[in-house]
Amino acid sequence: MGIVIAVISGKGGVGKTTATANLGLGIAMNGEKVVVVDFDIGQRNLDMILGLENRVVYDMVQVMDGEVNIKQALIKSKVNPDLSFLAASQTKDKTVLDSNKIKELLDNLKKDFDYVILDAPAGIEGGYEHTIEFADAAIIVVNPEVSSIRDADRAIGILDSKSQKVKDGEEVVKYLIINRIVAEMVQKGEMLNSEDILEILNIKLLGKIPEDRGVIDASNQGKPVILKDKSIAGEAYKRIAMRICGKNVKMEDIERVDVSFMNKFKGIFK
Amino acid sequence: MKGNQYSVKVYETTVEDENKFISFFDNNYILFKDRLIVINGELSDRIKDYLISKSLIFVNNIELPRNKNRQELELEEERIRLEEEREQEFIKAELNRLSNKLHNNLKVLDSMVRSGQELKIDGDLLLLNRVNSGATINITGNLIITQVVEGAIRCDGNFMMLSNSPKANIIFHGVQVDNDLLEEKLNRIELKDNKILITPVLKKEINWAS
Repeated sequence: MGIVIAVISGKGGVGKTTATANLGLGIAMNGEKVVVVDFDIGQRNLDMILGLENRVVYDMVQVMDGEVNIKQALIKSKVNPDLSFLAASQTKDKTVLDSNKIKELLDNLKKDFDYVILDAPAGIEGGYEHTIEFADAAIIVVNPEVSSIRDADRAIGILDSKSQKVKDGEEVVKYLIINRIVAEMVQKGEMLNSEDILEILNIKLLGKIPEDRGVIDASNQGKPVILKDKSIAGEAYKRIAMRICGKNVKMEDIERVDVSFMNKFKGIFK
Repeated sequence: MKGNQYSVKVYETTVEDENKFISFFDNNYILFKDRLIVINGELSDRIKDYLISKSLIFVNNIELPRNKNRQELELEEERIRLEEEREQEFIKAELNRLSNKLHNNLKVLDSMVRSGQELKIDGDLLLLNRVNSGATINITGNLIITQVVEGAIRCDGNFMMLSNSPKANIIFHGVQVDNDLLEEKLNRIELKDNKILITPVLKKEINWAS
């Protein structure tokens, strides 16, 4: 029986979908069977970032409505056979979601996969509530800026009050990923540091991901950054994926790297 | 009954050396003959006899009611007594009122108030955790928060106790509290004579855990 992890953020554009794609691949690279599900009905992106855009035939809504078999809708990644993908509907909107149908779908997925990763839509409306409703755990993605933190705080509040697990008296495990950290700005005090963020949100840290220009290019090409060699963000995602799979990986301290040294280093090659 | 009131000239002294005392009085007799002599301390028979022989009026060891007559003194005593009584009564009433409120309606919370959450509380609240940006606390009673507030507070109680919270939006009895007036540690914010009074309660940080 697999576990359901919702990737949430509250605010849009902080790197939720990128994180979902990379963690999906990263977990698959650890030899676990994983499925990533795009819950952003009507605004799907995950297919593009995974490079599976042209292979989508059936979507999640068609599966839930019983139009097609779940096996027909699942798309297996060519990069790693342990990774599968279930697309969101691009033509329908979030109102088609229904709690009972979602539960049935997730229960089916849990039978076949070790990890079911849900890419939540931005915002805190119905679509978001449906994503977290049956989640066993949540990964909260934030950027080190106040608006992202506040929206994440709100999203956590809703998670703590509306998820089925909480209603049953259990707890949804919550982990934090701080995305797009610029060490130089943190050191200058222009960017929130991770200690402050953790104090505000009061959840466990899963990992920090440094700002990496390679991420945009990787997304555009449909090859998640985790596949790239020598990518700092890719390495960070690899470590996080290993932690999710239960491996003990030391927490990196990407905020206190010696920036002056790095700048000098870059200067030599200019 | 009838009476008259007079002002009397008084010479107050003590006897240190009996011979010097007698010679001093002999030399200045003219000065003392119309005065009341008040002698503090021991009074020997020799001095007593001397003063009687000189027909000087004297008294020994009395507390002089300087500048105040008996009536004034009595009034003042009465006033002090009443003031003390009133103060005692006020403190008693205040304590009663506070302890009643606290005992009847005190809520203690140790959970973080997250963005979007709104606590509506009728009574008092002791909150041992943060109030995050975007959260709101609406309270009719007294409020004590031991950690940082970044959200909004609407309090209509007798007092609030808050630590320094530069990002908070605090409204006490409809008036916005200036965050700059809150010092690092705990501050007491109360309403006195229709004015908001802020007093730092502690300079030292409290360790709530112990």
